[in-house]
Amino acid sequence: MQSKLLFIIGGVLTSLSVWGQSAHQQDVLAVEHADCSYFGKDRAAFSEAGLNARGRQRFALSTLTESVMREMGSASGPEVSNFVPGGSRTYGQQATGSSASTIDSNIYGVLKAQNIQPAVKSNDYEFIRRVTLDLTGKVPQVARVKAFIADSSADKRAKYVDELLVSDAWVDKWTQYFGDQFKNTERVTFNGLVRYANGREAFYDYIKSALVTKKPYDQIARELISAEGGNSWDQGELNWILAGRVINGPAQDTYDQMASNVAETFLGMSQLNCVMCHNGRGHLDTLSLWGKSATRMDAWGMSAFFAPTNMALVRPDPTVNNSPYYWNVTSTRGRTYALNTTTGNRPSRAPVGTLNAVVPKYPFGGVAAVPASTLNLRQAAAAAVTSDFQFARASVNYMWKEFFSRGLVDPVKMFDPARLDPDNPPPAPWTLQPSNAKLLKELAQDFVNSGYDLKALQRQIVNSDTYQMSSRYDGVWNPSWEPLHARKLVRRLWAEEIIDAVAQTSGLPTSYTFGVDSTDPKKVLRVDWAMQLPSPNLRSGDIAGLMDSFFRGDRDENDRRPDGSDLQALSMMNSTFVTNRTKSAATGQSISLVRQNITLSDDELINTLFLTVLSRLPNDAERTSSTVALKSGNRLTAAENLTWALYNKVDFLINY
Amino acid sequence: MNNESKFRKIIEKYPTNHTPFYARPNFSRRNFFNLAGAGVMGSFLSKNLNGQVIKSSPVQTKNTAKNVIFILLAGAPSHTDTFDFKFLDGTTPKDFNPTMMGKALWPMGLMPNIGSQLGEVAIVRSVRAWAAAHSLSQTWVQIGRSPTAALGDIAPNIGSIVAAEKRGERQLSQKFPTFLALNSGNAMGSGYLPANYEPFKMSPSTAGLPNTANPDGQVRFEDKFNLLNAVDGNLRVNSPISEQMNDYGDFYRSAKGLMYNPTVDKAFKYSTTDSMRYGNSGFGNALLTAKQVLEANQGTRYIQVTVGGWDMHSNIYGLNGARTGPMGGLYTMAMGQLDPAVGELIKDMKANGSLKETLIVMMGEFGRTVGQVTMQGGRDHYLQQFCMFAGGGVKGGKVIGETDTAGRVTIDPGWSEGRDVRVEDIEATIYSALGINWTNIRYDDPFGRGFEYVPSANEGLYKPIHELWA
Repeated sequence: MQSKLLFIIGGVLTSLSVWGQSAHQQDVLAVEHADCSYFGKDRAAFSEAGLNARGRQRFALSTLTESVMREMGSASGPEVSNFVPGGSRTYGQQATGSSASTIDSNIYGVLKAQNIQPAVKSNDYEFIRRVTLDLTGKVPQVARVKAFIADSSADKRAKYVDELLVSDAWVDKWTQYFGDQFKNTERVTFNGLVRYANGREAFYDYIKSALVTKKPYDQIARELISAEGGNSWDQGELNWILAGRVINGPAQDTYDQMASNVAETFLGMSQLNCVMCHNGRGHLDTLSLWGKSATRMDAWGMSAFFAPTNMALVRPDPTVNNSPYYWNVTSTRGRTYALNTTTGNRPSRAPVGTLNAVVPKYPFGGVAAVPASTLNLRQAAAAAVTSDFQFARASVNYMWKEFFSRGLVDPVKMFDPARLDPDNPPPAPWTLQPSNAKLLKELAQDFVNSGYDLKALQRQIVNSDTYQMSSRYDGVWNPSWEPLHARKLVRRLWAEEIIDAVAQTSGLPTSYTFGVDSTDPKKVLRVDWAMQLPSPNLRSGDIAGLMDSFFRGDRDENDRRPDGSDLQALSMMNSTFVTNRTKSAATGQSISLVRQNITLSDDELINTLFLTVLSRLPNDAERTSSTVALKSGNRLTAAENLTWALYNKVDFLINY
Repeated sequence: MNNESKFRKIIEKYPTNHTPFYARPNFSRRNFFNLAGAGVMGSFLSKNLNGQVIKSSPVQTKNTAKNVIFILLAGAPSHTDTFDFKFLDGTTPKDFNPTMMGKALWPMGLMPNIGSQLGEVAIVRSVRAWAAAHSLSQTWVQIGRSPTAALGDIAPNIGSIVAAEKRGERQLSQKFPTFLALNSGNAMGSGYLPANYEPFKMSPSTAGLPNTANPDGQVRFEDKFNLLNAVDGNLRVNSPISEQMNDYGDFYRSAKGLMYNPTVDKAFKYSTTDSMRYGNSGFGNALLTAKQVLEANQGTRYIQVTVGGWDMHSNIYGLNGARTGPMGGLYTMAMGQLDPAVGELIKDMKANGSLKETLIVMMGEFGRTVGQVTMQGGRDHYLQQFCMFAGGGVKGGKVIGETDTAGRVTIDPGWSEGRDVRVEDIEATIYSALGINWTNIRYDDPFGRGFEYVPSANEGLYKPIHELWA
């Protein structure tokens, strides 16, 4: 397929296939920027940016939170005792936020200064489900919920967090997350890159092993940016830089794309890509104070670090036509970024005065100059990026969004470096970009001080009173408080989390076959949990349809989306994956939830079903409806129906 | 070529969506500042006129069609072997049986069913693609603009715009999705528009719409659903980023509306007899389903059907053009799948009267090289292509535009603009047929740039092919 691709760029006809004799010069307009992420394939991220910027949409998360919580019962009044039946030792406690805590002192400080009452602390049921899903992508086991509720020690939340952080499920979830972040796929549409299953698996293994060995995040970044080696199927880290390979243009297009990928992934700055084509002036004036005066030459300074990069495909079996191949990545010392292009995917590059080639220069300042003799200039780029404080800011901000549903700078890829420092605010009419600039700065500093320890960052987040606030809110809620984190914002579960929660809580887990080895078709690739899938590549069947209905994205052309749809309702109500798991059934060693518990008394059965599926006990209304159901007609059928209803409850689909 | 250069002049005069965005003066943004009166802030513009069309030119739409079936021949079919048929002695297989059918030379041996329906069909032969790369051009065709231009990649599928425009016409009793995508797993989505304008994607099967029956049966499903309502109340809100807060309860109600619904089953299930008649292929089943869905009159207005397999770089006719040895791609696709399915669709819709209110549009993302076949016995990517129209008020038995003897380039555009027809013109044609002002600009796009239904249509750059109605 790839060998047949034909592109017409800038009026020049390029064909990788044998061109028919009848071919004739075709008069066409240039194909525009196939690789511009701003107007290009990152549509969802930028749509979100715009939607967030629109007053009506801005506080949608807060509206969602309020709606879900109204459903769950308000924080005070008679519903509370129904919603939280016994065992909650922390409920109703008004947390004030520790002044010693970076997060709480800043969040509660602002709330106090603005005279906004923060939400109360989450109760234990809310907390255990929330933090287990956020850290591990799983819902807690029912026995663990009971033990946690019964535990009366003061530090039980912190101890539980530590327990989660060392679990295998933590590794699975964050391998999936960084797979999204680093866009690990078998192929990339816009540049036709093919990694094959083996490359994707190697990259997956690299990410997983980095998380298992607690590799500092700055080291991960350096390894991905500067990776060199002979075989992308063996050396997983080679697969990231490959995504910057741009075809149908001069090599400078590739260097620009690599630099843009670095800026977006590690600095949260997707607009560097814009400046690769044109100066910021006249384009970014209203978006970014930095971008307003950024020049193409600035951006090229970053690209020039990538000019020595070579990528070549290698077929392990060259005797077979079109056999799978891997990539090697090497460097050629001294190759420069020449200003001499007239065709390709970006505007012409012409000498500036007497300058024919660009000298590598980190465009965001604040780091040491790069010795020109550096063999692998990408090592120098990696060092510059990871020693830039912006790297820490972008990294903690990406992570913040995972736990709080929105970034301190949101959208997370639209950092404006000139509007971040609380001690040096931008001139009017510009305002500081982060919703809490001091917090972002101090949190980033904590991250640096921890040695870029991802687990330490997550521990710091989930142990904060800010994270442990309830998503319910007493009194009148003002949606404009959303960015101030005056209450916890809810999120819909990922497709993988939903699948795994059904498989786990129903007592009927399964396994997922998602392909075969690239060179050994007999070697079937299989995992036990959806969260372990190396990429969203399970593409057919009941389960794939179910996951797709929750907009899991493909890490390529489609981002994950949190939207709802009626396909989700149809899938949850009627797919055999879900309905089979609501039955009194046994497969092999596995016995279903209903079958395990059907001999219990009505009350105990209802408690167990709720605790297992929703990690909480029913409120009075729920208990009454459930009891009525169990007492009418066939009890087993009713228990199955109740289980089905719990999987279709809104609070099953949402982390609140 | 004269028309082409004239067109280039227009583009030079209106350098908006065809110059790369970096070379484009950002006057539309400045215009918008004036219009909305928004101040420059340290952020995106925040005062948008949500969803409002705040600019459009007074145009006369045709408004003769109620629905659209858009058929994408993915992989790009050879135009000179099909709808711009050229007989090249020694190359074209004899059994294609070139026959004059009205104004069109037609391969009756290859596509006899469509051939017999040509009285309902208008063929545009002066269509030219902008680019000859599959994914880029397939996207281009579905969103009616360059995917890489400004707003290109947040641009909705044409079907999503139709769904948004026709939302007000939906009756409460109508249960089907407005925008249905059959066998179109990779169909473009709703772009920046909310998820409720996403294409409802499914692959037809004799079993009908998936997940519309509960494995435990309807009686028990009702029990379950009642229990769900009892334990979950009725306030179920989701979707943080949609135009209207989408209510989970609504999703469940609307999903339930599709279940145990004889109308759904009648529309989405089909008999093997009918399936055989439509060619017994996935594509045939999709067109059969499309016909039935529109018959049901349940609110579906735009149906996209995709059929791949047209990227015939080799073996397009079979061994030496003879039908011995491996079957050539055209026999499999054009004769085996396209001809029975499209032929029967037109025939059925004519018979039940729905053809006059349904516009059928069929095209590839580009065309294929002309003249002799390549060394591999195939045809490679090429910009010249065709577009087929039928129904929806369009006059049949028509051929618009003419290419040179080989089919390389347009020699007679055959329409008022006097230039090649572009995908953007076809998009405008679809909107016009549906009574949608194709010059509309919505100012609810995330950048506040103004989302043009058809790029630069306000400046008159692209126009509907109203000659189709003449």
